[in-house]
Amino acid sequence: MILSDLIGSEVHDASGEALGRVVDARFRLEGSGTPSQARLVGIIVSPRSATSFLGYERNAVTRPVLVARLLRWMHRGSFLVLWGDIARIGTDRVELRPRYERLPSALESGE
Amino acid sequence: MKSPTVRAGRILDAHLHLLDRQVLDVDDVPVTTVDDLELSDIPVDTDLDGVEAPVIVSLLSGAVLGTRIFGGRPPSTRWHRVPWSSLVELGTALKVDAAADDLEVSWPERWVRDHIIARIPGGRHDPE
Amino acid sequence: MKKLFAVALGVLTAIGGFVDIGDLVTNAVVGSRFGMSLAWVVVVGVVGICLFANMSGRVAAVSGRATFEIIRERLGPRAGLANLGASFFINLMTMAAEIGGIALVLQLVTGIGPMLWMPLAAFAVWIVVWRAKFSQLENAAGLLGLSLIVFAVAVVMLGPDWGELAHQAFVPTVPASEQPSTYWFYAVALFGAAMTPYEVFFFSSGAIEEGWTRKDLGQERVNVFVGFPLGGLLSLAIAASAAIVLLPQAIAVTSLSQVVLPVVQAGGTIAFCFLIVGMLAAFFGAALETTLSSGYTIAQYFGWSWGKFRRPAKAARFHLVMIVGLVIALGILLTGVDPIAVTEYSVVFSAVALPLTYIPILIISNDPDYMGTEVNGRAVNALGLVYLVVIVVAAVAAIPLMIISGAGA
Repeated sequence: MILSDLIGSEVHDASGEALGRVVDARFRLEGSGTPSQARLVGIIVSPRSATSFLGYERNAVTRPVLVARLLRWMHRGSFLVLWGDIARIGTDRVELRPRYERLPSALESGE
Repeated sequence: MKSPTVRAGRILDAHLHLLDRQVLDVDDVPVTTVDDLELSDIPVDTDLDGVEAPVIVSLLSGAVLGTRIFGGRPPSTRWHRVPWSSLVELGTALKVDAAADDLEVSWPERWVRDHIIARIPGGRHDPE
Repeated sequence: MKKLFAVALGVLTAIGGFVDIGDLVTNAVVGSRFGMSLAWVVVVGVVGICLFANMSGRVAAVSGRATFEIIRERLGPRAGLANLGASFFINLMTMAAEIGGIALVLQLVTGIGPMLWMPLAAFAVWIVVWRAKFSQLENAAGLLGLSLIVFAVAVVMLGPDWGELAHQAFVPTVPASEQPSTYWFYAVALFGAAMTPYEVFFFSSGAIEEGWTRKDLGQERVNVFVGFPLGGLLSLAIAASAAIVLLPQAIAVTSLSQVVLPVVQAGGTIAFCFLIVGMLAAFFGAALETTLSSGYTIAQYFGWSWGKFRRPAKAARFHLVMIVGLVIALGILLTGVDPIAVTEYSVVFSAVALPLTYIPILIISNDPDYMGTEVNGRAVNALGLVYLVVIVVAAVAAIPLMIISGAGA
């Protein structure tokens, strides 16, 4: 699967309601190999815009303050959905399980 | 700054940390940009219960840049792959363990070098 | 002692390299029509370019990443490509203006041309880009460009009414013979001439060419904060010389002949010789910088190998882009278009494109992933935000002002 097939896909919950679009994919490095494998942890869904802009909405950069605030406001409402909560992936469409969990999409500082 | 090693525990977001990043060869020579990622196969349009999450198989570049901008999908033969297993460092740029000339993805550079630049006098010399 | 020499070289090169045909022509035109009443724009522009160049130099030295890589990484491929298109197009215009300028100077000296000189000038630029070491090319053009100090000497020798000049500068008013829209149009043009984007591409890529690291930041700061303001003073001297000689006689600047008139009037043939050397060096240096910038922007966006520190065979596409760029620039000139006109448009479009380059740099210089502990301080960010507003206002106002004022007619 190519990543850009996934990014931009519409996301629906189990009842078919539209939740937004996939704006990013989160991976965790695991395993003792060199290099470690990058396994998909979940997808970032945003109800607002299909593109991430400048990364402000999730990373630790907080300055310049005005720009950061503006962009965080533009991207408010984005959340992380873990792999286990994804029911199926189709062409341009992702369906979530009935009791999926909305996790905060912000990366912890230092990551 | 974070450590650039590719070791277990790090969290990466594709857009924030991988896509559009510079790929450097073992001598820090720029090779290409990461235009897309190839993930291991997962079943399409079927329930994913019990299916393991995919891993990144390779970095993609080349024709995929056009499709990322304009949409569509090039046939898999047109992609240039840089295997994930060749990654050595993952900082603000991605470093691989091969020399640029040995990578499939560098053929446009080699072509221009062999057919144009090397034919102009002085092309192969260091600047004086 | 060696350190002092290196510092002096850096500063002198920055001064000599500051003025290009855009600065020369725009300041001369402004001086001849508005006196010193737009001097404040030069000051604003110089502070801006100091801020901007310092940020981009710091980013390059600390993170090792050059400007256009960062633009692509931050804006994504779509916005980055639009940015690349605009920047490359304006860069091409500036290349044509500088090469045209070289030809015009040679025409001034020999009476022949300028079309005859253009292919020669373009070829000379290419040969130097192809073979010369980066530092040699910078140093030679910068030091010879210092000859332009003859403008400052001329201003003093002309024995002007300093009080009058100061009054024009510190109490700026729109002269009775001009419209406010024309005044503000030239303000934008002057701003674009001072803050040309290629300066930043060149400066930050140059930092990587010369292998700058954190240790070199001190030197970099001296180059920028001493060299650029002194270069700005040179711009003001050009405007002053035009204000003293051309303004009272309502002489319009339509070619280099009017630009050199005040210097010739003040110092005769000797001054003229210095001026010729200075202009040739300044324009040739700027032609080299814009040509290299055309290579840097495209190669960095696409992730290709680049750099003068690599032999051409190891940065093949980078050199190919520059060859193609020079051919296109030459083609533009050989259509017979007036290089002075190209110059005047290029500075206005530079002002329009400025936000595209400035915003990513401002953002990255705050990002600890790239900068570690060298992120912007509060003062720099405050100033940076002020200039963000100024730059965006200038960019948005440029085209409307150009239309209303008839491009300063």
